[in-house]
Amino acid sequence: MARRKTKIKFFTIADYEEEERWLEEEHRNGWRLVKLIPPVFFIFEETKPEDYIYKLDYKNKEMPNDYFQMFKDYGWEYCGYSLGWNCFRKAASQVRAEEEGEIFSDDESKLDMIKYLMLTRLLPLLIIFFAVLVPGIGRLRLTEGFIVILSFIIYVLAGVLYIYVFVRVGLRLWQMRNKINNKS
Amino acid sequence: MDERLGRIYVPMSETAFYILFCLQEAQHGYGIGQAVKEMTRDEVTIGPGTMYGTLSKMEKDGLISLVNEVEKRKIYKATDLGKEILEIELKRIRRLYINSTGGEYNG
Repeated sequence: MARRKTKIKFFTIADYEEEERWLEEEHRNGWRLVKLIPPVFFIFEETKPEDYIYKLDYKNKEMPNDYFQMFKDYGWEYCGYSLGWNCFRKAASQVRAEEEGEIFSDDESKLDMIKYLMLTRLLPLLIIFFAVLVPGIGRLRLTEGFIVILSFIIYVLAGVLYIYVFVRVGLRLWQMRNKINNKS
Repeated sequence: MDERLGRIYVPMSETAFYILFCLQEAQHGYGIGQAVKEMTRDEVTIGPGTMYGTLSKMEKDGLISLVNEVEKRKIYKATDLGKEILEIELKRIRRLYINSTGGEYNG
């Protein structure tokens, strides 16, 4: 049996292109992705070093058979699912024209995926923030003591981290969106 | 045809046009992709993500409907509404073509 390795790597929802390039690099170095385990585990198997193209498609739900069949018809091999993302790959040697190495062929569909990401991932984060974290801080002030101070610090830290991730991911998606919009 | 559909599909993207045009006959996604490649001498390619998304949208908007499923491939065909919208687009494109090649457009 081929040797296996597990890697832990964190990518935000705005880093999917970096994730694709990273998976391609692993394959070039002789490590083929065999499984994705949420949230951050990548299982690889030793293989012949080869140029492969990896693509991620965000769907946020379990897709029906015809979806996978269509990618298969187009020559894409399915190689895993994690947290709403479907991963596909294709040998670079099978790509005769540049477009055959893409899963999205127009700007509209690329933008649709970014909009869908914002709606299903970014917007719920915002709602949780205002519905849970902000009222939580307000309630803390009603009682006193060491535990309260500790919880308050944890709350503030969580809040700051939250805002940081939210702004960073939001900005990144926004920039990707503008880049596509300005090109056309 | 309601206003929303008019905004989305008149005029429509090249991808949407070719898909709807091909679906005058029943066909599945990959088959449409191959037909478009052939018709345009490989100049227009529709990727699987774009194909799947556009077919889903058009089905939801009632421009095409599922007629069959064979070996995990969904086969679609343009509905009457789809054909009506395609006709509007064809007329626009014909007008564009006639005027751009110096002809006289007579309506």
